[in-house]
Amino acid sequence: MMHILLIEDDIQAAEYLVKGLGECGHVVDHAADGEGGLHLALTGQYEVIVVDRMLPGRDGLSIIRLLRADRNQTPALVLSALGEVDDRVAGLHAGGDDYLVKPYAFSELLARLDALSRRNHPAMQEQRLRVGDLVVDRQSQMVTRANKRIRLQPREFRLLEYLMRNAGRVVTRTMLLEHVWDFHFDPQTNVIDVQISRLRSKIDKGFALPLLHTVRGAGYKLSESP
Amino acid sequence: MNLPKLYRTTAVRLALRYALVYALMLGLALAAFYWYSSRYVDSQLEAGLEQELRALTELFETGGMVGLAQAVRQRMQDGLHEGRFYALVSPAGEVLAGNLFEWPAGESVSLDAKVHRTWIEDDTMVGHLYDDDAYVPVVAREFPDGSRLLLAAGVEQAEALHEITEFLIEVLGVSVVLALIMSVILGRTILARMDTISRTAGDIMAGDLSQRVPVSGHNDEFDALAKRLNTMLDRIQQLIKGIREVTDNVAHDLRSPLSRLCNRLEVTLLEPRSEPEYREAISGGIEDAKALIKTFNAMLGIAQAEAGNHRTQWGRVDLNRLAVDLTDLYQPAARHKGQKLELTTRGSAEITGSRELLAQAIGNLLDNAIKYTPAGSGIRLEVKPSDAVAEVRVSDSGPGIPASERDHVLARFVRLDSSRHTPGNGLGLSLVQAVARLHKAELVLGDAGPGLLVSLRFPRHAVE
Repeated sequence: MMHILLIEDDIQAAEYLVKGLGECGHVVDHAADGEGGLHLALTGQYEVIVVDRMLPGRDGLSIIRLLRADRNQTPALVLSALGEVDDRVAGLHAGGDDYLVKPYAFSELLARLDALSRRNHPAMQEQRLRVGDLVVDRQSQMVTRANKRIRLQPREFRLLEYLMRNAGRVVTRTMLLEHVWDFHFDPQTNVIDVQISRLRSKIDKGFALPLLHTVRGAGYKLSESP
Repeated sequence: MNLPKLYRTTAVRLALRYALVYALMLGLALAAFYWYSSRYVDSQLEAGLEQELRALTELFETGGMVGLAQAVRQRMQDGLHEGRFYALVSPAGEVLAGNLFEWPAGESVSLDAKVHRTWIEDDTMVGHLYDDDAYVPVVAREFPDGSRLLLAAGVEQAEALHEITEFLIEVLGVSVVLALIMSVILGRTILARMDTISRTAGDIMAGDLSQRVPVSGHNDEFDALAKRLNTMLDRIQQLIKGIREVTDNVAHDLRSPLSRLCNRLEVTLLEPRSEPEYREAISGGIEDAKALIKTFNAMLGIAQAEAGNHRTQWGRVDLNRLAVDLTDLYQPAARHKGQKLELTTRGSAEITGSRELLAQAIGNLLDNAIKYTPAGSGIRLEVKPSDAVAEVRVSDSGPGIPASERDHVLARFVRLDSSRHTPGNGLGLSLVQAVARLHKAELVLGDAGPGLLVSLRFPRHAVE
């Protein structure tokens, strides 16, 4: 369960987001304009803030800037209808932690919010990541499953490392493309699916319990239970 | 000719202003000239009059009144009066000698032997040399016996000055008129050129975007303006055409998946169904919607690349590194289809550009190669830098594109009949083209013999 602040002036979109996020077990406060949103953000305790870029009264980026100036480091996801490369960079510069362009799929938003929440995230500097009997040593880049050494290429290692850091959460194909390859476009072919199936054949093949799961319509999840 | 309209042109107004200033300056110069020269003429006249009076006074002192009268009469007879008027009158006022009929009446003549402008009536003069009554330089004195002598200046010298002045005034008038005519001609010429531009603008506003400003061929500033405007119009027309294509294609390509989505949901609601059936229908709908979002984003990407306004995120892009990253991303997909993706790089190949857009463009080329090449064939990604250009080539050993259709496939949403059965939205190559144009690169589709060869040649330096 996450406590989420949603600042979005499109009332209909906000309603279904509140409903959808609520059904996924989160508690959502909604503000329909910039000033109200800023007030809630400054006074409430939230795990993630979702803010639309263009708002009546005060634009989304200035809300994030004011929060950061107030030493409020609550992770913020910027929603935008603009979607140019420059806008994403501007959003991240203002202190936003992620950026999503409209139109987007709900599953994409949900996965990104999950990833943004700092709870249950292993610390960045933690040396060993573990899911079940799969262990990744970040320093020596050694991967073992049931104490058996698994050889991965550098990119496969980064892919697995990202999945491990988000263990138990759904990660989408675009999130993988962004974090593992640093590409922000949408490939027309199933390149990510093929990458995942190659990784899966290395870490799951020959083991009774699969760890790398496909979540239909959303993405992938690394966990002991599907 | 429309005079008010003509007056409103800058050229005419400027010309008129210059004509006015010119007339004013010339008038001032003329006035100064007249003032100084008439003063000079007057002082000459006055000096002459006073000198003559002194000469006649000397004659009176040596020869008395009789001698003086004799001398005056002699001057009249010999024509030596040099255009001056004389009047020698007795104390009783009777004219003894001279060419004035009487001592000037009216205003009193001062007798101090100094020149004064005095009113002389025309009919007191012999020969009516002045056209009218006038103030005339006059010098007069009285002798001890009460007789008086008066000398008045003649008219010729003063007249000459008048004539020169009048001539100069005429010259001034003529030049002002000429300036006016010139300004009208100038104004009409400029108006005519401006009117053609204005008419073209009017036609364009009326909706005919193909109109262009005529270029006269004089290579003057109007031609330079016309060429500049035409280049601008070309660019605008191209952009509008792009926007029109996008909207047409949005209508065309989004319509069928949208109606499929709508129908699927409506049909599901027609009668009660089991939960798995509802789930099936809804997840089918979501897949449709996601495909729509994908197409939509691809179109936005092209529009943005074409608008070319993300220059702020440009930097140095190492094409070799990018090629390695992309090969790394696409290699498994190619291998999965039983294809071999090979990368060849040599030398450093840095260019100025957007890594994001370049990745997307080259990625689309690899996408296409993987999609349209049968299993077992080879795909090559090559980065070939030379001094002037950095070339990125993607070639495959698939069916290729017939030479006659190569231009055609660059258009949006074009999918050759032979590729109808493979998934895709036909936007891939148009994005490549838009990105190429933005980077001033040359996009060439060629023959890999067999297969398709797509080459992107980036200028290595000076991309604006």
